[in-house]
Amino acid sequence: MMRPRWHKALADLWSNKMRSLLVIVSIAIGLFAVGLISTTHAWLGLAMRDGYAAQNPANIIITAAGFPADFVDRIRNLPDVQEAEGVALVSLRVQTGQDTSTPIDIQPFPEMDEKQINQLTLLEGKYPPADREVVLDINKLEDTAARLGDTITVQLPSGRLREMKVVGIVRDMTIGAGGMGGGYFIASPQGYITFETLAWLEQPELLNQLHATVRSGDADLEHIQSVAGTLMDEFERNSLITISRAAMTSTAHPNNPYLESMLGLLVMLGFLVVFLSAFIITNTLSALLNQQIQQVGVMKTIGASRFQIRSIYMVLILVYSLAALGLALAFSDRAAYALLTFLSTRINFNLPAVQPVPRSILLQALIALIVPQVAGSLPILQGTRITIQQALSGTGSGNADRPSVVYRWLAKIRGLSRPMLISLRNTFRRRLRLVLTLVTLILGGAIFIGVFNVRTTIDHYMDRLGKYFIADVNLTLSEPHSIREMTAILKQVPGVVSVEGWAGARAELVEPDGSVGEAVILQAVPTDSTLIEPILTAGRWILPGDENAIVLNEMFNESLPGIAIGDTVRLRVNGEETEWVVVGFFQFAGKSGGLLAYTGFDHLSRLTSMTGRSMFYRIVTAEGMHTLEQQEELGAVLEAHLKRQGIEVSEITAGLSLNETTARGLDTLTTFLLFMALLMAAVGSMGLMGTMSLNVMERTREIGVMRAIGATDRHITRLVLVEGMLIGLISWVLACLASFPIGKMLSDVVSIAIFSMPIDFVFTATGVFIWLGLVTILSILASVLPARSAARLTIREVLAYE
Amino acid sequence: MESVVKTFRTAAAPVTVLKGIDLSVLPGEFISIVGRSGSGKSTLLNMLTGIDHPTSGSVVIGGTRLHQLNESRLASWRGRNMGIVFQFFQLLPMLTLVENVMLPMDFCESFAPAEREPRAMQLLARVGLQGLETKLPGAVSGGQQQSAAVARALATDPPILVADEPTGNLDSRTAEAVMALFQELAAQGKTIIMVTHDSLLAKQTRRSLVISDGELIHPAVSAALPRAGHDLLLKFHHLARPVHLPAGAEVPSSLQLGIVAGGTVIAGQAVWGFGRLVDLAGLRRAGGNPRAGSQPLELLVLDEAEVRSLAESVRRGGQP
Repeated sequence: MMRPRWHKALADLWSNKMRSLLVIVSIAIGLFAVGLISTTHAWLGLAMRDGYAAQNPANIIITAAGFPADFVDRIRNLPDVQEAEGVALVSLRVQTGQDTSTPIDIQPFPEMDEKQINQLTLLEGKYPPADREVVLDINKLEDTAARLGDTITVQLPSGRLREMKVVGIVRDMTIGAGGMGGGYFIASPQGYITFETLAWLEQPELLNQLHATVRSGDADLEHIQSVAGTLMDEFERNSLITISRAAMTSTAHPNNPYLESMLGLLVMLGFLVVFLSAFIITNTLSALLNQQIQQVGVMKTIGASRFQIRSIYMVLILVYSLAALGLALAFSDRAAYALLTFLSTRINFNLPAVQPVPRSILLQALIALIVPQVAGSLPILQGTRITIQQALSGTGSGNADRPSVVYRWLAKIRGLSRPMLISLRNTFRRRLRLVLTLVTLILGGAIFIGVFNVRTTIDHYMDRLGKYFIADVNLTLSEPHSIREMTAILKQVPGVVSVEGWAGARAELVEPDGSVGEAVILQAVPTDSTLIEPILTAGRWILPGDENAIVLNEMFNESLPGIAIGDTVRLRVNGEETEWVVVGFFQFAGKSGGLLAYTGFDHLSRLTSMTGRSMFYRIVTAEGMHTLEQQEELGAVLEAHLKRQGIEVSEITAGLSLNETTARGLDTLTTFLLFMALLMAAVGSMGLMGTMSLNVMERTREIGVMRAIGATDRHITRLVLVEGMLIGLISWVLACLASFPIGKMLSDVVSIAIFSMPIDFVFTATGVFIWLGLVTILSILASVLPARSAARLTIREVLAYE
Repeated sequence: MESVVKTFRTAAAPVTVLKGIDLSVLPGEFISIVGRSGSGKSTLLNMLTGIDHPTSGSVVIGGTRLHQLNESRLASWRGRNMGIVFQFFQLLPMLTLVENVMLPMDFCESFAPAEREPRAMQLLARVGLQGLETKLPGAVSGGQQQSAAVARALATDPPILVADEPTGNLDSRTAEAVMALFQELAAQGKTIIMVTHDSLLAKQTRRSLVISDGELIHPAVSAALPRAGHDLLLKFHHLARPVHLPAGAEVPSSLQLGIVAGGTVIAGQAVWGFGRLVDLAGLRRAGGNPRAGSQPLELLVLDEAEVRSLAESVRRGGQP
């Protein structure tokens, strides 16, 4: 037979099912959030690191002017190289409507069915395609307006059109790899064809990109870079011109900066959720112990020691915890999987075959066993410490009804109706409970508002980055043309106001030992350009008369630690080693931007023998033509105009399109953040609901008295609702204040992950007002149930005459 | 109150707490209901106030059948028509005394908003709480809290006042003041129903009813046996058989012992009025001829042998 004391613990649990449910749900929601966060953390790591590595991504990508197939065999035979493949990367345009088209990057592989590196995951249809068929990547599939089984029309440089059937949909997790980080979001749609289809598309059967994996040390970036150097030497030995190279580890998913920021946030939020859950549990258990004070007195009277009484309540908490753990385990994995599914489509990874994460289960179990016991220890200690006399007389249950300073101050408030005064003063009756409830709601709210501020901060920074791309239309020609002639031609098109010819070159850092290092994008702008407003952090911008002056972005500080103004850097531009003097530093997009440097147009064009000529044009349009649609429209007009002039356009993009594509990546991050904020808000409102339920439970007698003196259902419901809303409003005010430091902290986590540095924090009122609406709704929802229970109480139940 | 029965279902067996109570209270009456703990007096009060529903029977107050109203409408009706004074005051701790008194007026929308505060102040002054109006209940004594509770019960100027042990937690001086106030209110026409276990307090009311084991003792029985305990009264209540005799009619010789519940008994020179225990057999043995007076005679007849047996068991100290 069960010992009576344990029977009492179970009877306590069973006799007040509503209260037990409240405690269990309070604990469960915290555990659920921790489980969701830790499981997502583990699965994301699995998907983005192991899942990516499983695709056997290239460790080295070298883009060259062209190389023969047997050169790939030579590379493959190098001792440090595991596997090497050549790709004939081409950029074409695919029709998306009557007069619209979009660029498409097409990758033909010589031995498609034996492809080892950068493996694709077939999602639908078949792979590999037959000749004159195409397989598309799922990520930008929408941009092509095509679906499996459709036929896409590709525009050839000659003006001919070719139709290819879409026979398969794949996921290519390597999009953006080697393309300077954020490449995934700005990448064009990707298509995969056989090598034999290339000629049919009027493209030379020339390999121009080498993919290679290293034999060992695929997690050692330094080693990979050294192997990449060997490969570059091989290109040079064979008199092959290289354009760029990139080295990366096998686990470095191109969207890792986003993963890192998300994981950082997950860990931070995980701690907060545990903290908040502990508050909710403390609140609930304090109330539970308060209700048990008399029983504690009785047990003491009949000989129970403090330890024995404490053990009864500890067992009760243990039972609550185990029930909550079961509940949390049942739901956290499912929610984590749903979150993972959402993220997989946004940051490009395959959903892994997930298994329960033992670490996550263990963490939830540990928290379930420890946190409620710790949270409950204070109320248990207080509850069991009171004397028998206090317990039996009911005077030991705290001092809630003794007039406090706050209470006396509140009693001076005049002019409100009595029911309103009741709500107002009830709010401050259980001060500790109020504080704990407010803390949960404030943190939830502050994070919610903070998310909006993070978004605005990033948007603001993106706007500043947009000043590097002020032009309305960016034009890239297939070959250089005279800037003077091009300006005249382009200005023939109505709406074109001014034209600037820029220059650009792929370059590589030359290490002190003479070896070739990381790729650098070198941009050359006219010294009087009005189409760039850089964020200078030190030194100056390019001035007229500068020769080999160069301005570097913040990433050079990581590649060349200690580099300062006046120092010289050596770059290999178009195969030639050159020396540059650093005159300034500017802030760009951190890791997403890679190594970027600006120099004067005249100097670079002389260096590349292109004086007075350019392939890259920045076009400014008339006022009133600055929307994305207008820019795209003008782009189409310009393309047609240049075609008529016999000038071949390689690429034409609207100025705002860059903002849009970058925003996509950030949207994912902020949506993720918003989801987490909503989770926090849910935890907070759960805390409020618990508090309101406990308040109602404790005040049933008063509710009965009010009924006895004429309060109707409406009166009682309103009293509870107003109290809940009042707590919500107080939390809102404080959350607004707390959102400054919390928003700044979140902003720093995100910006350091994406831009490698904290960016200027910007505050917006949007989150403040949305949270006001939301916290009001949540407060009402959290109070409605307790209010309904309160209104349903009959006087007999609450006054208990007999 | 007509044939009110209240049965509570318990785990062991159903327990009938009220066993067919009939009670009529006239407007302006000040009555007390006296009973020991567990006698059913609070359940009776719950029936009167609509706080609880009878298992059978009905409660009609001023034409309103209380238990046909839903909880919310009943609360509203109660607020306007009935002031309740609780044993443990039951003031709302978060409101000041004056706010507590104003609260029923707010709930029931009685009196114009501008009049509510002056009225509450006036009521508090009437119960002797001048100067304490803005104190919170926790800051005043128990007696003062009960006085404020009385003021609250009067807030909406209800015609009926129901008080459950109103002096149970008060010192004797405060208790006297509360009773004096009740007397004054009754004199002004308020109907007051007070539940108490204190028979001395009950004597201060115009009519006192005894409740024992869920039954109301016939008032004539309790009046005839003022020193008898409630259990004995209940026994007499059960033994008594009502007999109605027209004015001037002779009391049948078979009736040996009776309690006059209405009218008078005339036996020679002796006259017994309302509520006396009359030894009819003894009167006859003394040569009298008991008969009804000029009014019809309501007699509660007792069997002499049963009364003697009851008296004997009481004398031996056993249960009646």
